[in-house]
Amino acid sequence: MFTYAALAVALLVWGLIIFAAIRFRHTRDNPEPRSQKDTNTPLEIGWTVAPLVLVIFLFVWTYRIETSVEALAANAPLHVAVTGYRWGWTFAYQGGPIINGTSDHPPEMVLPLGETAAIAVTSSDVDHSFWIPDMLFKRDAIPGRVSAFDLTPSKLGTFVGRCGEFCGLNHALMTFTVRVVAPAEYKRWLAYEATQ
Amino acid sequence: MTSAAVPRVTAPERRDILSWITSTDHKRVGFLYMATTLGFMLIAGLLAMLIRTQLARPGSTLLQAHAYNQIFTLHGTAMIFLVIAPFGLGLANYLIPLQIGAPDMAFPRLNATSFWLFLFGGLIVFAGAATNEGAASAGWTSYAPLSEIRISTGLGQDFWIVGLAMVSAASIMTAINFVTTTFVYRAPGMTMWRIPIFTWEMVATSLLIFMAFPSLMATLLLLFVDRRFGGHAFDPALGGSAILYQHLFWFFGHPEVYVLILPFFGIVSEVISTFSGRPMFGYTGMVLAAFAIAGLSMGVWAHHMFTTGAVNDPFFSFVSFLIAVPTGIKFFNWICTMWGGSIRYTTAMLYAIGFLLNFLLGGVTGVMIASPSLDFQARDSYFIVAHFHYTIGGGSFFALFAALYYWWPKVFGWKLDERLGKINFWLTFVGFNVTFLPMFFMGMFGMPRRIYTYPATGPLPMLNAIATTGAYLMLIAAAVFVVNIIVSARRREPAGDNPWHGYTLEWATTSPPPEHNFERLPPIRSARPLWNLEHPDAEATS
Repeated sequence: MFTYAALAVALLVWGLIIFAAIRFRHTRDNPEPRSQKDTNTPLEIGWTVAPLVLVIFLFVWTYRIETSVEALAANAPLHVAVTGYRWGWTFAYQGGPIINGTSDHPPEMVLPLGETAAIAVTSSDVDHSFWIPDMLFKRDAIPGRVSAFDLTPSKLGTFVGRCGEFCGLNHALMTFTVRVVAPAEYKRWLAYEATQ
Repeated sequence: MTSAAVPRVTAPERRDILSWITSTDHKRVGFLYMATTLGFMLIAGLLAMLIRTQLARPGSTLLQAHAYNQIFTLHGTAMIFLVIAPFGLGLANYLIPLQIGAPDMAFPRLNATSFWLFLFGGLIVFAGAATNEGAASAGWTSYAPLSEIRISTGLGQDFWIVGLAMVSAASIMTAINFVTTTFVYRAPGMTMWRIPIFTWEMVATSLLIFMAFPSLMATLLLLFVDRRFGGHAFDPALGGSAILYQHLFWFFGHPEVYVLILPFFGIVSEVISTFSGRPMFGYTGMVLAAFAIAGLSMGVWAHHMFTTGAVNDPFFSFVSFLIAVPTGIKFFNWICTMWGGSIRYTTAMLYAIGFLLNFLLGGVTGVMIASPSLDFQARDSYFIVAHFHYTIGGGSFFALFAALYYWWPKVFGWKLDERLGKINFWLTFVGFNVTFLPMFFMGMFGMPRRIYTYPATGPLPMLNAIATTGAYLMLIAAAVFVVNIIVSARRREPAGDNPWHGYTLEWATTSPPPEHNFERLPPIRSARPLWNLEHPDAEATS
């Protein structure tokens, strides 16, 4: 929606620029500027008010989306504490396994499909960012601060996760994966991890 | 004793090196400023070529991580602090007194001081590369605690801090000069509402510098105290706050974005008006929009921090959206300035149109990421890299070249070759878009910024190969520009006082102007004194 709104505005203005640039170029038929008029109050008020209305609309829209993206469930079925460090991740499941991995062996976070996971992100050294491009979301891992958000996977599969905030030498290699499985399989995984 | 008319004697202008070092003439200071930024631009551009060459293929071994991190840090730092922003300051140094009919800046010695501080500050940043652990490598933002001494142990980071502190002190001094000169030194008849748009944009830029750069100075100082004197402002391990660094940095950093663009809005306004043969449409709206942008830009810093989760306040999103309004006003005014004109397509005008087309894409993608939920995906990805290169590269950098082609004859007395100029423009335009358009898609496919290598799967290798091809086109364009300077310098075709039929006062004096700028001034009855001179019958407008 935002992309289309942005593209529509861009196409309109690009069109006007290119039209004016071609239509009013210096030619034999257009040897002199035909007008020295430099103001048109109604027009100027119009192109101030119209964009204002548009951005207020976009703002209200985005505010509502943001509120839903940011909303935290009152009692999520599972909690994972994520800690980023140079250069790896620890995923600590509340009452469950602790998964850890560095850039050589990236860790894997297993999540049940359709269930809300309450995730709390922090860092033990510098700023990192917990980013899953396929889930269109990232949240910074900042030392001295715990940041909470909810993740409700809606698609089965294994997704690549990356560090999204530059953190030094091996930033490019600081990956992880998120494997979304059926709830029953998730229970089996939990049981298996408990025996490890 | 009889009094006789004493002819005014001016000492012949000295041209030796000592005279350049000691000069307080705003034109020489401005020239040195611009020449220095072009030198830094060459270095920063070559660093960008290294980046693109490294990323041409996945898993490239041309550069190791540490070298790559230094290179992108220096590229970003140089382009922002040592090229784009100071070019605007250098050009304004040259032009403001000429545009308002003044003999020099209000504080010429302060002006010279600011240039030398800037030059040595920039050299110090680069000199970090010669230290044991190399140059700063924490990115142009140098977020703490990454830039703290226990992580970034090298001296390069300290060089970066000290160099940038000098550069920002220089910027503040220059801003003081611009505002004072514009307010106090205008020629008779040059009322506030007749000041050329470029000079107005520089006044707005100067106000931003006053408000934003002290915050940068404070950030740099605190970081330096942390690193060298055991402070702990930003290190959570010692009770400091990592978020505080981001707040202080972006309180400077976002207004800085407009320090990087407002001067170039001014350039484009002058160029479009001259080559369309029309006055600046909506002059008053144009000036007010500049100040609206400056004001609003002070209230958006936290939109750089949406993903921290620390600033969900919708205020920052709303103000970020609002900036689109005055920016839109500017676009419509530029279009209406062309409307009904007779547009002459010189190289400068082509670059101005290129600016409009590119900057628009940078602008609308900026509106997209003003929405936090979209920003959650885009931030620190190549989408952002594409976005800000469309504003600072496709915008400011194109306007910078418009300025070079437009004011070159005023500074040197001879024009740059127009045919080579057009080749230069088209190569730059095509090269720029081939480089940066694919980056929007790289970001959508999950490529983070500041990585020296990426996986060989998916569309990323192809997109990166395209981008690198574009970068080499721009390198060829740069070579054409250098050839143009050499060829045109040999020819030295005299340009005359006003080769483009410009309207503002700098075109009323000789090219190059004499040391005190004007032998005589035309009457100033509008924002276009030279147009009034050519059309004595027309009623003076505004």
